[in-house]
Order: sequence, then C-alpha cells, then structure tokens
Amino acid sequence: MSGKVAIRRLATGVPGLDAILGGGLPEFSFNLIVGPPGSGKTTLAHQIMFTLATKQRPALFFTVLGEPPLKMFRYQQQFDFFDLAKINESIRFVNLSEEVTEGNFDHVLARIMREVEAASPGLVFVDSFRSIMLEAPRQDQGAIGLQQFTQQLGMFLSSWDATTFLVGEYSADGQPHPVFTVADGLLSLDQNVHRNSMVRQMQIMKMRGQATRPGMQTFRISNAGIEVFPAALVRDDTGATEAAASRSRRTRVRLSMGVPLLDEMLGGGLPMGYSMLVAGPSGSGKTILATAFLAEGVRVGEPGVIVAFEQTPSQSRIATLDDMVRAGQVGLINTRSLDLSIDEIVQRLIDLIHRMKATRVVIDSLSGFELAVAPSFREDFRESLFRMVAVLSGLGVTVLMTSELEDRYDDLRFSPYGSAFLTDAIIVERYIEIESRLKRVLAVVKVRGSAHSNELRQFQITDDGIVIGAPVRDYQGLLSGRPTQTPTSHRID
Amino acid sequence: MARGAGKTPDAKAIAAAAADTWPRVTARLAPVIGARGVEVLFRRALHLTSTAFPWLQLAADHEGGVATLESVTTRLAGQEASSAALASCALLVTFTELLVTLIGESLTERLLGPVWAPPLTAPQQETGA
Repeated sequence: MSGKVAIRRLATGVPGLDAILGGGLPEFSFNLIVGPPGSGKTTLAHQIMFTLATKQRPALFFTVLGEPPLKMFRYQQQFDFFDLAKINESIRFVNLSEEVTEGNFDHVLARIMREVEAASPGLVFVDSFRSIMLEAPRQDQGAIGLQQFTQQLGMFLSSWDATTFLVGEYSADGQPHPVFTVADGLLSLDQNVHRNSMVRQMQIMKMRGQATRPGMQTFRISNAGIEVFPAALVRDDTGATEAAASRSRRTRVRLSMGVPLLDEMLGGGLPMGYSMLVAGPSGSGKTILATAFLAEGVRVGEPGVIVAFEQTPSQSRIATLDDMVRAGQVGLINTRSLDLSIDEIVQRLIDLIHRMKATRVVIDSLSGFELAVAPSFREDFRESLFRMVAVLSGLGVTVLMTSELEDRYDDLRFSPYGSAFLTDAIIVERYIEIESRLKRVLAVVKVRGSAHSNELRQFQITDDGIVIGAPVRDYQGLLSGRPTQTPTSHRID
Repeated sequence: MARGAGKTPDAKAIAAAAADTWPRVTARLAPVIGARGVEVLFRRALHLTSTAFPWLQLAADHEGGVATLESVTTRLAGQEASSAALASCALLVTFTELLVTLIGESLTERLLGPVWAPPLTAPQQETGA
C-alpha cells in the first residue's frame, strides 16, 4: 500500500465536461466558475449540483443578491436536470441577501459557516461571488474587507470536506483575484459573438492534480442543460485504434466505390481507412459519387454515415440516399445552422459512427461545412479539418469528402483550403467542352501508396448513377476547358 | 388556517390564524427566495386582493416589514367574521397563485407543502429539512 491519498473524481453529469476536466471533478476540491453575465454559470452549477446531490451527499446552494431567486427558480426549472424532488431533500437553497445588504462581510461569512456547519453538506455553492464584491464599498469601517472575505471564504470552503464552488462574474483575464490562488479548479465560461453567430466556450484554466484539456472548448445549452464538445484529440501512433487503422493499411483491404470502372482506376478500390477528396465544380456529380459509395457499403453490409451541409437527401436526384437514410442503413447529420463548432460536429459524428457501427463516412461538402461553422472558427478551419480527419482515421473509418471547386481553367486546383494534402486519395471532376457540349470528365489524381490510373475519363450521370466511359483520347488541353483535337486522332480514325 | 381559527370562528380568531400562518409561510420561503422576495410577493398579493376587499388596501407609504402583516391582521380583526374569512383566504390563495405563476406548481408545493401540514408536525419538518 502506498499510503498516498486517493482522489475520487466525481462524474459531473455534464456531457463532455468530465473529459475536459481530465476525468471528472476531484472530490473536496474548491472551484471557481467565472464568466460574464449570461455565459451559463448558474446553469452549470445547477446541473452539477442536481447530478451530484444525494441524501448522503447533500448540497447547499447560497444565493446572494445577483439574480433574484424567484427568477432563478422560474428559469432553471425548465432544464431537464432540475429535479424538484431533490429540493429540500438533498438540495437546500439559502438566500443571503439580508446579510449582504447589511454590508457586513463578517455576518455573511458567519452565516455561511453556520449553515455549512449545521448541514454538513457534501457540496456547497455560493452564487454569486460578484454580487458580494459589488457590495464592497458599503463596508462598515473596521469590518473585514472584501479581499479578506473572499480569501477567508475560500480558505473555509477548501478546508471543509466538501466539494465547493464559488460562482462569479469575475473575469479571469484581468488582474487575478487572490482567491484564484486558493482555488483548486477554475472554470471560465464565455460567449463569443461574431457577426450573427454566438458561440459558447469554456476553458478549464486550472484543475489541480489532473491533466485537463487545454484551450477553449465549445458548449451548447439546450433543454437538457449544458453539453460540452471537447476538441477532438489527435492520438499518437501508440493509440490502439490507430494501430488498428495502420494494420488495415498494411493489409490494404480495398473498398469498392460502387461505380463500375472507378475501382479499377483507383488501383482496385479505395484502401480501407483512407480519406478521399472528391473535388469538382457545382453539379459535376460529387454527391452522386458519394451516394454510390454509401450505397455500395449498404450492399456489402458496411453501414455508413453522411454529414450533409448542402442539399437534403430528399432533394437529391438519386432517391437512394433518402431511401437508405429512411431505412436506417445510413446515418444522417443534416445541419444548416450557422453557429456550429467543428468539435460539435465531430462529436455528433463520432457518436453516430459508434451507434451505427459505421465504416464509411461521407462529408458533403467541405464548402458547406465551412459555411456552417461559426465565423469565429473559420480562421482555424484547416487546423480543425486536419484534426477531424486524423480522428476519423484513428477510428479506422473510410472517409469521403467532397469539395466545391471553382470553375477555373487557368490553374489546376483540388481544394480551396489547401486540404488536398490532408487526404490519402483525390478524385477530380471537371467540365470540358467538346463539340459545343459540356461534358464531364474525372481523373484519379492521387492514391497514397498505390498505383492508380492516370487517365481522364468521360462520365455521364444517368438514372442509375455515374457511368464512366472511355478515356478521352485524341484531345489535349482538356483541363483548360478548351481542348483541341490532337492531330494523331485523324490518323487513328 | 381554518383549522387554527376553530369551527365557528369570529374575526379575531381569523386574524390570529393569519398571524400564525404567515410567519410559517415566511419561514419556509425566506431562506430560499429571501425575506425581501417574500415581502414583495406578499404586498403584491395584498394589492391584488384589495380590489375585492378595499379595506385591505395598504397606504402607499406603508413602511413594510413585520408592520405589513400586523396591519393586515388588525384590519381582519376589525371586520365581520365572514368577510374576514373570505379576505384572509383570498389573500393566501392569491399569494400561492402568484408563486405558482412564477416558479410553477410543483416547486411551490415542494416549498410550501409543510406549511399546510397539521400544526403539530409542521415545526418538526422545518427543523428537519
């Protein structure tokens, strides 16, 4: 036996929060929840309290001026986690407004200590700390000052064998308040407004004794309460799932694309666990190719998932996608909201992949994805895309992403994000003009670690899907959009 | 309250019952929503009830606090028994309805339930909560 103290970690009941805390909330820790008004502090505190409070581990919730308690009850009970049966059973609310308006911190502190000692709670919340601070100028001479008060309260709460929280509007950016030093945990909430979108973010600035996820994590508040979407972690090569993925790379199991001849062009199909980019201008057939990829998966018993940012499946020319989604063979994430974080999408996608046991994933399209992501995340879009691809490949799924390509004939591009290097395989679709007709061609540009066709082949979109035709011979300058017939063709003819 | 006032209550008994009930309501609510929160609700209920019972109307400059309840019980005691009973009941109902409007029936029931319990057990529940 080591004799070292074992710190129990409490599951907070806030989806995603335990992960970014590094495994849960340490028992008997003293935590600060800070952030501007409306950032979700009280909601977070309540959600944690209603989850953790039991008869054996009762909670005391001190309300200080701030929000009138009646209003707090009125709004907080709308959340699913607000369990009325726990009130006055395992959860007791104590209003401190009398003591605070008196302006004597000694009394406030004494009342808190009295209540805590009498109830012996396992959880203590003081909401909010800021309102206590605002009362500071009204202090009587000779009474303890605000600094001392918060310090003493902090010391008292941290020495009590209870898990405690101070909720406050204190900004973590400015000059650090002394109580920040006493605290074991510091959770900072924020909301970023960028043009018309609003994004809620949370940062664990400190949590003693455990490795927290660094950086801002996005969260959402719905009727169910707060849900945190931890930034997807890219695992190292040592990860077991990564090992599985690399094994599948070695064995080179190839997936059929569901389009005749395309597998041949790819050198025998798309290697399992690869990510593929299908780039092409609007209407060139990217979604149809993606649908064929999913339909083939369904046919051979490999469930798929599609994240659709553009057309809804019912609008799709080919009814198969809609049918597959309705039949539950393909999972669908369809979103047009404009305030998403990439992490939220990745989280939903991963959940769906696990639920469907999916091995094929389609993201249609990156351009729509970029539009759906809140503006404040667009700067990091490439980085997040990289993380997403890495996480998906870590899961061992095969990914097909489509990307809108501007119709430009003076240069050969595959993706506006420079994301082509992120993917293992690339198919490009183009329009060309031959004999005053707009025709479609496609080519396999890259399949990492594999031989593949280098032909430009014409293809047609029929009611049965994509039909790949013969290679376009006898022309040159196809990619410029204005091909010319090569002189040799006359000789062959 | 009706129980406290006895079977054939006179106005004085009704006033006494009110004087007994309201502090118990306050004792349940004040720790949760603050004494001021309770008082604001009480005065609002009083204002609403006084449209039907104008003699309950408080003076605009009424000082508030404990004096509000005292003033109400004095007025109750000065009325006909039937009128006092109706007004006292209406006041309590209005107050409860206000609370229900704000925080819902379940939570109101949760907070105030023990007040309506038989008087003998009520104090025990309060200390035990």
